Amino acid sequence: MKPFKFEQATTAVQASQTHADAAPNARFISGGTDILGEIKESVLEVNILVSLAGLSGASEIISSDLGLEIGALVTLARIASDQSIVETYPALAQAAESVATPQIRNVGTLGGNLCQRPRCWYYRSPLFDCLKKGGETCFASDEGNKYHAILGAENCHIVHPSDVAVALLALDATVVVSNASGDRQMPIGDFFVSPDVNMLAENVLEPGEFVSKVKIPKPSSGTRSVYLKAKERQAYDFALSSVAVSLEVRDETITQAHVVLGGVAPVPYSVPQVDSELTGQKIREVDVQAIGQLAVKDAQPLSDNSYKVRLTASMVARAVSRLISE
Amino acid sequence: MTTFKTIGKSEPRRDLPEKLTGEAKYTADVQLPGMLFGKILRSPHPHARILSINVDAARNLPGVRAVVTPFDAPKGQVAPDMPILDTEARYVGDEVAAVAADDEDLAEAALSLIEVKYEQLPFVTDAVEAIKPDAPQTRPGGNLVGGKPLTLIRGSVEEGFAQADRIFEETYSTPAQAGAALEPRAAVASWDGDNLTVWKSTRGVHADQLALSLALDVPRGNIRVMGQNMGAGYGTKDETRLGAITAVLAQRAGRPVKIELTRQEEFVAGRHRHGTTTTVRMGVKNDGTVTAVHATTIMDTGAYLSSGPGVIRRAGQGALYLYRCANVQYDGYLTYTNTPSGGSYRALGAPQGHFALESLADTISEALGIDPLEFRLKNHVGLEGQPGERVTPANEVLDTQPVEGGVPFSSNGLRECLQRGSEAIDWGQPSERPESGNLRRGKGMGMFIYRGGAGGRSIARMRLESDGSLRLLTGLMDVGEGSLTVMPQIAAEELGVGYGQVLVTFGDSETTPEAPLTAGSTATFSTGTATKEAARQLKARIIEVVAPLLDTEPSNLQITDDGVEHIQYPERSVSFAQIAESVGEIEVEAAISPGSRDHVINSFGAHFAEVEVDTDTGQVRVLRYIAAHDSGRILNPKLAINQVEGGVSQMLGFTLSEQMLTDPRNGVTLNASFLEHKSPTVQDFPEMQVLFADVVDPVGPFGAKALGEPPSIGVAPAVANAIYNAIGVRIRDLPLTPDRVLNEIEAQRGDSQ
Repeated sequence: MKPFKFEQATTAVQASQTHADAAPNARFISGGTDILGEIKESVLEVNILVSLAGLSGASEIISSDLGLEIGALVTLARIASDQSIVETYPALAQAAESVATPQIRNVGTLGGNLCQRPRCWYYRSPLFDCLKKGGETCFASDEGNKYHAILGAENCHIVHPSDVAVALLALDATVVVSNASGDRQMPIGDFFVSPDVNMLAENVLEPGEFVSKVKIPKPSSGTRSVYLKAKERQAYDFALSSVAVSLEVRDETITQAHVVLGGVAPVPYSVPQVDSELTGQKIREVDVQAIGQLAVKDAQPLSDNSYKVRLTASMVARAVSRLISE
Repeated sequence: MTTFKTIGKSEPRRDLPEKLTGEAKYTADVQLPGMLFGKILRSPHPHARILSINVDAARNLPGVRAVVTPFDAPKGQVAPDMPILDTEARYVGDEVAAVAADDEDLAEAALSLIEVKYEQLPFVTDAVEAIKPDAPQTRPGGNLVGGKPLTLIRGSVEEGFAQADRIFEETYSTPAQAGAALEPRAAVASWDGDNLTVWKSTRGVHADQLALSLALDVPRGNIRVMGQNMGAGYGTKDETRLGAITAVLAQRAGRPVKIELTRQEEFVAGRHRHGTTTTVRMGVKNDGTVTAVHATTIMDTGAYLSSGPGVIRRAGQGALYLYRCANVQYDGYLTYTNTPSGGSYRALGAPQGHFALESLADTISEALGIDPLEFRLKNHVGLEGQPGERVTPANEVLDTQPVEGGVPFSSNGLRECLQRGSEAIDWGQPSERPESGNLRRGKGMGMFIYRGGAGGRSIARMRLESDGSLRLLTGLMDVGEGSLTVMPQIAAEELGVGYGQVLVTFGDSETTPEAPLTAGSTATFSTGTATKEAARQLKARIIEVVAPLLDTEPSNLQITDDGVEHIQYPERSVSFAQIAESVGEIEVEAAISPGSRDHVINSFGAHFAEVEVDTDTGQVRVLRYIAAHDSGRILNPKLAINQVEGGVSQMLGFTLSEQMLTDPRNGVTLNASFLEHKSPTVQDFPEMQVLFADVVDPVGPFGAKALGEPPSIGVAPAVANAIYNAIGVRIRDLPLTPDRVLNEIEAQRGDSQ
């Protein structure tokens, strides 16, 4: 671990400027559960860490008729237990609850969760000079890829590790990004980028920019949502595969659907063909197995992860089935 | 029925209060004036010759006080195949050089300034590949340890297979499994002139003292090793390279040095359960009688031998001895590779060997149409032992892992374990709750045999101290199993005093007498026998010296909680303090080399699991678990139950989720972390029930046998058999992760189409 400076920012502008001035060797830190691991394990060298923990207004959950605003510094533990989220945005609460361990959820923040780096074991070891770190090779292409992507990956086969992002995408969330000159915002689907767009980052943040809040539109009264996650142990595990589904049901008919896959692609993965297939169907007539198969139609598994295709199809079927029987 | 004062009672752990309050001191807590921090430079290559090391820049960094490299380290060996530092690196993570500096960050900075010139050498990361003729050679003597397999034979398997109506053969594999102890290993070394003191994570201070003496060429008497509280080790913390490197740095710096491994180092450079590939071939009559067992294990010892020879031996004992059979053979191939080194880990090779054996037993049962429980009841080894002629001369102590027949066990409660365990899990009854949707339930079992019991020579000292207190002194280490509590129970019972009255001093090579490693499930039996004998002698001596004081014969006196009293006239008594005041301190010492000339002392058990498999997600949940053990008389039920539950929990990880993965392309360990070496957490554990057979061993202290390791042996076969029972799919490679379950279900569907 190389020594680094630690800067406690008190305003967004200060945080942004400090970061931008020191780019590319500056990083933001909030809960630190991800970035400190990267630094300690010599995956990342930084000159300066800019702490966002002291920013005011970023630790609030505001629920209104328009929807929900969650500050980037809100911990995962709060999201998992917040009454308005549990009741109105269950997929989000379930996703937050599924993360890691209570200790990590108590300090890990929403913003940090969205911005965490890949868990790919080649990326995480300083002994592999992989594409993600500016190297020439993806070590997962041919072997050792049990936990890697089956969808949407070309050269680099990471999966995006965030649970929360999968739920947020299904709930049509918007990400608000702050920089020294103000805010910009975008649908969360546009926030994440695949390695084909930018090999060295998983999102669109520019130097000096950080996630300051997430907004979720208030779902209509007929909307229900769920997040399911397959793991190798009950706690402290990233998803082998996960799925978030949001369905709007009126008169026993699905009027809107959003199915998002996690743990299987370099970004939280929307499957629009599934959404349109579901939309308009009577809930009693939905063939959930067929929907599950449709969700993985484009899968291109690697040598060790074809199980993810079947697993993901099952997860989608199970999630849809659960929502239509609610 | 014998009544006891403390034996058989759940006395609370001696170390519980200090551990619960955080007062307990571990090696990393040792702080000495002027102490430096050491760090180890590790090889990035799986196999390389170290041509040169330039340490100038590191040495010139202010605050760096000592450096050691293979070119200037003392030339002693810490193990037969391991010098203190070597000019050849044999796995990614192997120790290459070390520094000591004023603080940890400086030490780490110094490491980055060391320039090493490596010549990379061919390497091999897979044991099955490594014993092929054209494999890259990890050592001049070849990859196969000893150049040939360990072959053990009773009778003739050719004859046995000739008698068989049917022959079955299957191959199973188990991965490297890290011990994943909470405490990373640590050592502190300090010199005072020619005298060295070492504090370290250890399970044997006297073994460490000897090893350091040989490595450093310092007389044994000049070295003091002090064991600290252990943040667990499960058998893996019995080696000394870390201690030796720390001592060399401390000597060079002229100041104390501490090295504590990082979590990542602990995973890679600690020790793990050896990965294995085992083929078992069994011959049976149509009525289920076993006529031959032949097991072959290829075992990956990794870069170093460590305890590999013991582990390869133990992997075969189930095949040789669990089923009554005149014709058996075991071939064990212990193989070097360029991967992290295996080592001692709870039950050594027994879980690996039993996984293959007890899985095949279920395959055979099904093929013959015999219930798996019946198959075992019909064939398990009984009290009389195996058929055949005794080979060991009558006046010699019998091996605790015999191959020969004709030698009976001292006790054998295996049948009771099978019967009571099967009753507890309602064997033969379908699972209580109905199966629904894609959830399938099943039950499975596995039985086992384990050597344990008698270990090495052990000395216990007992003292009536000058203030009247009673003290047991032994070099034994409590590595978490509870001997710090059970030993004073044994001493108190023999003396006839209350449990709390016996004070204990453990684990200091200078002030406590020699004890063997807390290893191989032998502490209770070996040091317990020595303790019992020392207590008996102390009691006799006390009564002998008190008799004239009370003006009577020794036979009229008895020991009480307070001192000594006359049996008929209890008012004629004298307290321990008064005795000590009158006659001074009394000290006795008992040395024993435990063992039996007449009996094989073994522990037994049978485990039963009920599982639920989700055929959509491949997820396996263990719902219910019954562990039935014959470990002789249970000296402390609560500790014993903890021990079994701990062993089962740990091995549910081995069975379902844990494995250390080495990348075959560059030898790098891919998952050296608690996150990725997936040890189960409390949410993964089933409801467990622990049963103990009603056995009192005629040889063991107060009838006790071994319990430390046996709980880890039956888990994998019980769970794997239950999965088979649930979904009709047999997965032959551990761990039984969702991907494998799904792949096997898929393969089965493919086959049936």
